[in-house]
Amino acid sequence: MAQLSLRGIKKRFRNTEVLHGIDLEIGDREFVVFVGPSGCGKSTLLRLIAGLDPMTDGEFLLNGRRMNEVPPSRRGIAMVFQSYALYPHMDVYENMAFGARLMGLDKAEVERRIAETTRMLRLEELLQRKPRELSGGQRQRVAIGRALVRKPEVFLLDEPLSNLDAALRSEVRLEIARLHHDIGGTMIYVTHDQVEAMTLADKIVVMNAGRIEQVGSPRELYETPANTFVATFIGSPRMTLLDVTRDGERLVMADGGSIAVGALPAGSAFRLGLRSDAVRLARGQGDGFAGQVVYTEYLGDNAYVYVRLADGTLLAARTAPNDSFAPDEPVTVRVDPGSVHFFSAEDGRRLTQQAAE
Amino acid sequence: MPHLRMTGRGLWITALIVPPLAFVAVFIVYPILSAFAYAFFDWQGLRRGEFVGFDNFFTVLFVEPYRSWTINAFSHNIMVFFALMVLQNGLGFILAYALWRELPGARFHRVAVFLPVVLSTIIVAYLFKLFLHPLFGVVNVSLKGIGLGWLAQPWLGQSDTALWSLIAAQSWHMVGFPTLVFLAGMQRIPGEILDAVRMETQSEWVKISRIVWPLVAPSATIVFTLLFVGAFNWFELPYIMAGLDGSPFGSTDVLGLYFYRTAFGNVSSGQQDFGLGSALAVLIFVFIALIAGIITVRLRAREIQL
Repeated sequence: MAQLSLRGIKKRFRNTEVLHGIDLEIGDREFVVFVGPSGCGKSTLLRLIAGLDPMTDGEFLLNGRRMNEVPPSRRGIAMVFQSYALYPHMDVYENMAFGARLMGLDKAEVERRIAETTRMLRLEELLQRKPRELSGGQRQRVAIGRALVRKPEVFLLDEPLSNLDAALRSEVRLEIARLHHDIGGTMIYVTHDQVEAMTLADKIVVMNAGRIEQVGSPRELYETPANTFVATFIGSPRMTLLDVTRDGERLVMADGGSIAVGALPAGSAFRLGLRSDAVRLARGQGDGFAGQVVYTEYLGDNAYVYVRLADGTLLAARTAPNDSFAPDEPVTVRVDPGSVHFFSAEDGRRLTQQAAE
Repeated sequence: MPHLRMTGRGLWITALIVPPLAFVAVFIVYPILSAFAYAFFDWQGLRRGEFVGFDNFFTVLFVEPYRSWTINAFSHNIMVFFALMVLQNGLGFILAYALWRELPGARFHRVAVFLPVVLSTIIVAYLFKLFLHPLFGVVNVSLKGIGLGWLAQPWLGQSDTALWSLIAAQSWHMVGFPTLVFLAGMQRIPGEILDAVRMETQSEWVKISRIVWPLVAPSATIVFTLLFVGAFNWFELPYIMAGLDGSPFGSTDVLGLYFYRTAFGNVSSGQQDFGLGSALAVLIFVFIALIAGIITVRLRAREIQL
């Protein structure tokens, strides 16, 4: 059982406030990913949960118990560090046994847990090796093993994949997902990579500039982003944002044509959000937004065409791989009415569509 | 016939290497080798007599009164070594840890701890001689001032406190050096390793003994070896504070003073014997080189690449 409650958490370094009041509930066995651009405070928040840094204000409860004054080693939390932070002078076995012994477990129990963990992470061959004799992926597994041996209620993982090469990354990502399934602890995972967040999380916490922008399942964040920040951060290529004004039932882009998308929210000016799969391209001039092809990214199973719209916005459109568009070719952009997003032109918040009058 | 042509690079290397090499050869290698040679001859003043084999070595090691003098000085050096190991290196490690953990005032203390190291030994030695003056020295005056007058001693004037007073002065003078070396070693430890330990224990003792201490092993090798060499070559401070005789009554005599007295004589005896002096110097040199070599090899083995 591990229920985490963060209440009004603030963190100040000297005169700079980096977390401006974080409220968050994390349930038992949840896989939660903190995601955001660098400097958004996600790692700082993780360190506060771990107890490595004191919080300036607010309260952190674990299973209803206030943790603010509890030292890191007594919180029942284990952490996997970005650099793995293995003890360089101890072999793999000692790295795992060190923390377990400090918990006061007897010798047999320590050995039993290490045997179990080693089997789960396929570390049997490596037990006598020193960290410097291991590859990046192996160190990563040892770091996870060291956390597992302590059987914590909560696992914290700070950008655990960032030091691995691309091929290994997706492999370890799968392994972490499998691990969470097998051991069922609560995991909090920090990353700046939205793909990792989307593929691993039960719940994603999108952070920006010391605040939480949105909390939700990957599907919720993708389909109903709360604001333009989340909309552009989640999904690849980035969602295109267009400033449009309303003219009756049509949306007009400044000197660049207009489209009809059915139901519109209240108001007269919006920011329209278009994902690459909500857009259709047609050659030449026509009914829709006018634009000019900039370049094409061919990816095999599909292609992305980047189009400079008349108002200067760069738009990404997904097309069939054999639709080839030449640079500078004039195109018309049409939109799938069911998959557009509306945001407030003033503060970027999501607007809900209303039935047309 | 092949011949060596001087390239520009070769010229530079030669120009940079030859002067220091010449310096080392003339002022270090030559004196050591000649001391080796001198030790095997009988000397009348500065005039070399006949070859006597190992007689000089035998005399300083086994013939009275040289034998007791050698043992006396050597045992003092051993005492000094162990005392400084605790007071200078031990304290240095603790100070370094405190500075590293950024306790309040760390910035000021970092400078304060290292400042005495840059002072000349002459200044420190005279200063401590004044501090420890039995009548108006600041130590005794302070003790009397706070009502502990019964603790006041003629610190440098009695056998059982003299050597310890010198050790205390030496520790004060040099404690900043091991502190600095240990601090540099600690600063090389990645922050996440320390965080990882904090996730597993809150005991400072476990952190120090199981993580920090093993990881500063390279620093320990340096300060241990240098302290060993320094302790057995100790000369300036006892010379200034206690004089060439290691007063009172040889209670502060160390190998350095003893060698100097034997080879060059002193105020109380004009007798000088280059042969015995050289034999002593050679023995000290061989002893230090041997043990320092062993220490270095043994300590290096437990160093870990971070």
